[in-house]
This record gives sequence, C-alpha cells and structure tokens, in this order.
Amino acid sequence: MTKLLIVLCALSLNLTVEAQEHHQHQANVDGMVMNHNVDTLPLDCDSISEDVIIDVRAGTQYAEVNGSKIYGYSDYEYFALPCARVNVTLHNDDDVRHQWMLHGLPRYLYPEGMFHLEANAKSSVSGSFIVPSDDATYLVHCDVTGHMEKGMKAQLLVGKGAGTLWSIPTISADFNHNDRIPAALGSLVIGSLAFALGLALSLRYASRNIANKKRLS
Amino acid sequence: MTINGVNMRALMLLVIGLALLLIVFPYAYLPERMRFELAGIVGTPSPEKRLSVPTPSYEAQEESCPPDLLGYRDAIVIEGVSIAAASTCVGDNPYAIAAFVKGTNNVSQETLTRAGLAVDALHKGRDLDGDGDADEIHIRLEIAELNGGSPDSQEPTAQYQLAPGIAPSLWVFVPKTFGMATENFESNQAMPLLRSPSPSIRIEQGDRVLITLENTHYLEHTIHFHGVDHRYVKANGEGSDGVPLSSELPVKAGQSRTYEIQARNTGTSFYHCHVQTQSHLPMGLQGMFIIEENLPNNTLQSMNIGAGQVRVRSQESVRNYDQEYDMHYSDLDSDLNNIVQQTNDPVAIKRWLHGAYNISEGRSNYFMLNGRSFPYTFRESLINVKENQTVRLRVLNAGSEGISLHTHGHKSTATHYDGVRVPEAAQLTRDVFWLASAQRLDLSLRTVDDGVHSYGPGVWMMHDHRGKGITNGGIAPGGNMTAIVYDDYLRDDGWPITQGKDFGQFFDPRFYQRIDSGKAQALSWLLLLRLMLMGGAFGLIIKGAAHFIRDRG
Repeated sequence: MTKLLIVLCALSLNLTVEAQEHHQHQANVDGMVMNHNVDTLPLDCDSISEDVIIDVRAGTQYAEVNGSKIYGYSDYEYFALPCARVNVTLHNDDDVRHQWMLHGLPRYLYPEGMFHLEANAKSSVSGSFIVPSDDATYLVHCDVTGHMEKGMKAQLLVGKGAGTLWSIPTISADFNHNDRIPAALGSLVIGSLAFALGLALSLRYASRNIANKKRLS
Repeated sequence: MTINGVNMRALMLLVIGLALLLIVFPYAYLPERMRFELAGIVGTPSPEKRLSVPTPSYEAQEESCPPDLLGYRDAIVIEGVSIAAASTCVGDNPYAIAAFVKGTNNVSQETLTRAGLAVDALHKGRDLDGDGDADEIHIRLEIAELNGGSPDSQEPTAQYQLAPGIAPSLWVFVPKTFGMATENFESNQAMPLLRSPSPSIRIEQGDRVLITLENTHYLEHTIHFHGVDHRYVKANGEGSDGVPLSSELPVKAGQSRTYEIQARNTGTSFYHCHVQTQSHLPMGLQGMFIIEENLPNNTLQSMNIGAGQVRVRSQESVRNYDQEYDMHYSDLDSDLNNIVQQTNDPVAIKRWLHGAYNISEGRSNYFMLNGRSFPYTFRESLINVKENQTVRLRVLNAGSEGISLHTHGHKSTATHYDGVRVPEAAQLTRDVFWLASAQRLDLSLRTVDDGVHSYGPGVWMMHDHRGKGITNGGIAPGGNMTAIVYDDYLRDDGWPITQGKDFGQFFDPRFYQRIDSGKAQALSWLLLLRLMLMGGAFGLIIKGAAHFIRDRG
C-alpha cells in the first residue's frame, strides 16, 4: 500500500513537471501555439492510436452565407480515435488574427484544459495534442470577441463523441432563436385564455340550461 | 317557461349576463356618466386597496473596494520603466503599462504574457531625431464587442459592467491581445484590456505614427482622428480621414487598414469610428488621442487602458504638473446599445442600427466617466491630491450630449480648448465648465487652500451638473460622479473616507432596477378572475340574446 502511494506521488510529481513544461507557449511572427504535446500520453492511454491531420483554413470567406455569419472555418467537424494524436495546422486567410482553441482536455496534462493555436494575418501555425481515451465532443472556437458567435465554432469528436454542440455552422441549429417572445405577449395569451374559458363555460351552461328547459316544456 | 311568448329562461340569462358584466367590468373604465348613475344607486365604491409595496433594503453584493491581490496599485519598476503607484482602489496592469512604454517588441515574453498583449500590439522603432526616445510608432488596434449577443446563451458574451448590474453592449477599440477574450474559460468576464472606453493613445509631436485597424468585428469600421494633424490622403493615394462618405471605403470584417500620422501640433484630441457615426460612436468606438510636446527622453506611455490616472507621464507633464489624469466622459442610450443582443444576425443588426433605432427620438440614459458609472467610478477614477499640487486634467466629452462639469470645493483653470492653448490673460478660472459633444478641455486643478482654487482638504465631488448626468438610467446616485480626494481622506486601499451615506447599498444591482420593471411582470389573479367572469358574462348574453330573438321571431 505504501509502495503504491509512493509510486502515485512520484507519478503526480512527474506530471506536474510536465504540465509546467507544456504551459510555456511558443510565439513568433506567425502566431502562437499553446500546450503543444506530441509525446506525453494521457493517463488512460497506452499508446498513440493514430495520427490525425487537421488542415483548417479560417477567415471571412469561409463564413456560412445562408446562416448570415461573418467569420468561419473551412471545416466545422473533425474526428479522431481515442488516444489519437491530433496534428492541427491553422491557416488564416484574413488580415486579422484568428484562433483554433480547443477546450476540455485533461488539466493534468494541458494547463486550463486547453490546446490553442493563434494565427496572425495571412499566416499559418501548427501544433499537436493527444486526446484521452473516452468518447467525447470537444469545443473548438475562436475567442476573439464575437468570432465564435459569428461563425467560428467547430467540434472535435473523439471515438463516438458525446453528441453535437449547438450552433455549429452547417452542423447544428442555434440554441437561441432570433424571434424572442416579447414579455407582454405572455400576459396577453393568459388573459385571452381566461376570457375564452369563461366564455366557453357559460355558453355550455346556457345551452344545456335552455335545452333542458325546452325538453321539459 | 314561456310568458306572453317570451322565453323567460333566455331573458333571465340575458339579464344575469348583463348584471355580471356590469359587476366585473373594471369600474374605472365605465363611462363617466354611468359611474355617477351607478354611484347614485349602489353608493360610491370604497377606495381601492393600496398595493403593498415592501420598502426595499439593499445589501452590498460585492466589496466596494476589492483587494489588490496582484499588487497592481503599487509603484513598481518593470523592464526599467518606473511606474507610479495607483492611488485608486483598482489600478491598471503595470506589465501592460511597461509594454506600452517600451513597445511590445522591446519587452520580454514574460512581460507580454503578464500584460496579455500580442507581440506586435505596439512596435516602437528608431529614434529619428536622436533625442533619446523612439519616434517610429506602430499601434495595432482591434475591435471587441462587450456584452454581445450569443446564439447559445441568454448570457451576454465578454461581459463588462458599467455599474452593478448594468451591462449594455459596447464596441471598443482595443490593443491587440492574444488568447482568450475572457478572464478564463469558466468566466464570462472580459479580460481587463477589453474595456470601455477605448484606450487613450499618446504620441509625441513629430513622431511617425502608424495605426493599423485590424477589424476583428463583424461590421465595417474606420478610424477618424478628430483634431489630430493628419493628411486627407496618404502618399499612396488612399484616403486617410476615416470618412466613408468622402475619403475612403470602410474596413470590412477580417480586413485591415493602416493610418499614418505625423502631427505638427500638440494637444488633447479624439479618435472614433466614422461609419454610421450616430450609432457606432455611442456604441463605444471612441477614445482620447493626446499629442505631447517633443522633448528629449520623452518615453511616453503610448496607451492608457480605460483612461484615468497616467502612471508614466511625459516630460512636459513632469515639468509643469504634479499629476495627470485622462478624463473621458461619454453617454449611451441602452435602446441602441442593446440592439446587438436581440439577434445574432449581422445583417439584421446592421439594418436595425440603420432603420430601427432613431437617435432623433432617443435619449441617453447612462453617463460614464472612463467607461464606468458611479459607484464603479469611485474605484477607478478618483482624483487623489495632496495640498499645494497642480494637477492636469485632460477632459474629453465623447458623449452625444453636452456636459456641465462641476468641481466641488475647487475652481480650476482652462488652459487648452480642443488642444489649443488659451492665452494666459484669457484663461478662465471657474467651477462649472460646459463641454459640447466632442469638445476637449485641459484643466489645471490647483490644490492651494486660498478660498478660490481650493477650499481645503476633503472629499469633494466632481460631476456633470445636469440632473440626469448623475444617474444610472434615471436612478441616483450614479452617472459620471467622481471626487477630488485629499490624502488625509483616502484609505490605504484607495477608498475615500466619507462621512455621509453607506455606499454598500449602491453595490446591489437591485438598487438600480427601475420599479416599473417589476410592475409589468404578470397579470394579477384578481384580473384573471375578472377576465374569466367577463367571458362568462358575454357567453350568457350571447346565448340568452340568441334564444330570445329567435323565440320572439
């Protein structure tokens, strides 16, 4: 038992050191890569199952036209096997920076649970990360204000995935519909219903009453 | 039962129905004459029961002065830049200040990371005149949407509060950052560099300045440098005045444009977006632009995030003043600003800004100093003075309405209007200054206790004297109120020692909720019952009348 504890402690120490190493992000004129990881396996993986290549372009020209979005990626859905190494290259075709930021990775390996590529204007950046073994859906987005809302939202499905996220262009619907119900409408509907209920009840009562009377007479 | 050919049952229904209708019909809506007649028969109705309105008690929902865990308020030397202490409760990130002084290209990666700035946010190049400071300056600005709409959540994105519970949507010019726009993944709060107002920009007279607008927004924008010496067209023939009507097409989403400035004059100026100015300017695309005198070793803090106290001052400021503050006044109409929360469709947003919002019928309802309204102004924008100081206040009114700027306990002197020095003999010393929209005013505030310039130490309010200027959506105290606070009246944490009302209540968002917003919540049970009975009465009348008429016929 003590032995096991020691091993566990050593393991966690080792992991902390690795996490710190990975926290350093690499930045250059093209942009930056955060939490790049090509060889450290998640705890639940014995080996790398496959190498997935994601080559994605970003910019206004990829915006989903019918969805009246402004920004977009060339692909909105990516697939990987459990324990796969995902190698992403982000090409930015705009004159402003864009990101390919993925959330939900294990925090012991990726600080803040995040893998992040950021490409400056007309530049490309590449980076890799290794996904854990569970079936999961990871959010990918650009976190420049408004960019996710205006189209830069995608998902990575590992294994069978864990469902589809909302409002991914070309994939899923918006969670909020634009036609929000005005607050006063609710009152109007309830009021009308109450009126109609009263009307219906009394009509029914009166019909029966008069009909009964007729039958009697 | 039929008497003389009249169906008595139907007649009875008709009468009951009419009587019921008369009883349940809201008395107040009956014709005046009928009310008199009815009162004659059944007497005057008893007074309506007063709705019981509980007296609200407000409790502080947050600390008035949050602790400075990161030590941002302290005087500190970073990368050889000595940064003055922030006297206010909340201070700007000193690492960002150091990067704004040296240039993001001349500081370490660690400083940049702690600042949250991109490596090319502010490039400082060569010293062209050999006087010890960089004269080639390249600033990159992006546009951020604060409290924006989302297709996924009812919660606004990248949140930023003007005051407790008040978060209208804003668009702001921001320095180029990296990584997440929020404080972290769990938080919806915008990172501190993304805030209102757009940063105050400082350049030196004669500097070769490039300002690149990297349009990260979803609509088209430009920058117009109001009062800043610039050419109408650049050397390459491209327009440079920022006006879509006359000088250039706007910068589309995802594109960029570089403006060139080499200013011959000095003074406090203004920059703002000139696309659909009636909406883009009040949305928040507005900032102060200051041109400092060209002096040796004049290493300026090129951007002042959120305006306010200038922690690294120019040589001219050090020579003539003891302190300097950027005071950016503005206002907004939440009916306009919140349009972007109503839909996520940029085409609809553009159409609504154009045709749905009518500024000629609009009314500004929030009034800000340095991007906040009271009580948050007391955290960031207090003017902390000692006796016998001379303090420079650079004032910009970027709002859509004039302001009547009043200082309690002091009369200050107007040294510059719109960046132009007023001749000594013509300088006015007064305690109310009217600033029209877009006007700039440099004030020299002297804290000499002589009964004119100052009435002595204390916590002296400073505010727009128009009634609405001191409210948040009509609720006082709010608006652009701040105070001139003497050292003896300031706690160590930067909060003033006042002897009036407890400020805790102002940190409860409910304090700033309008009462009518609660009234319109739902129909009362009594009214619902009444409506139901009215429906019933109509039913009886219809049925009774139908049978009555048919039987008669």
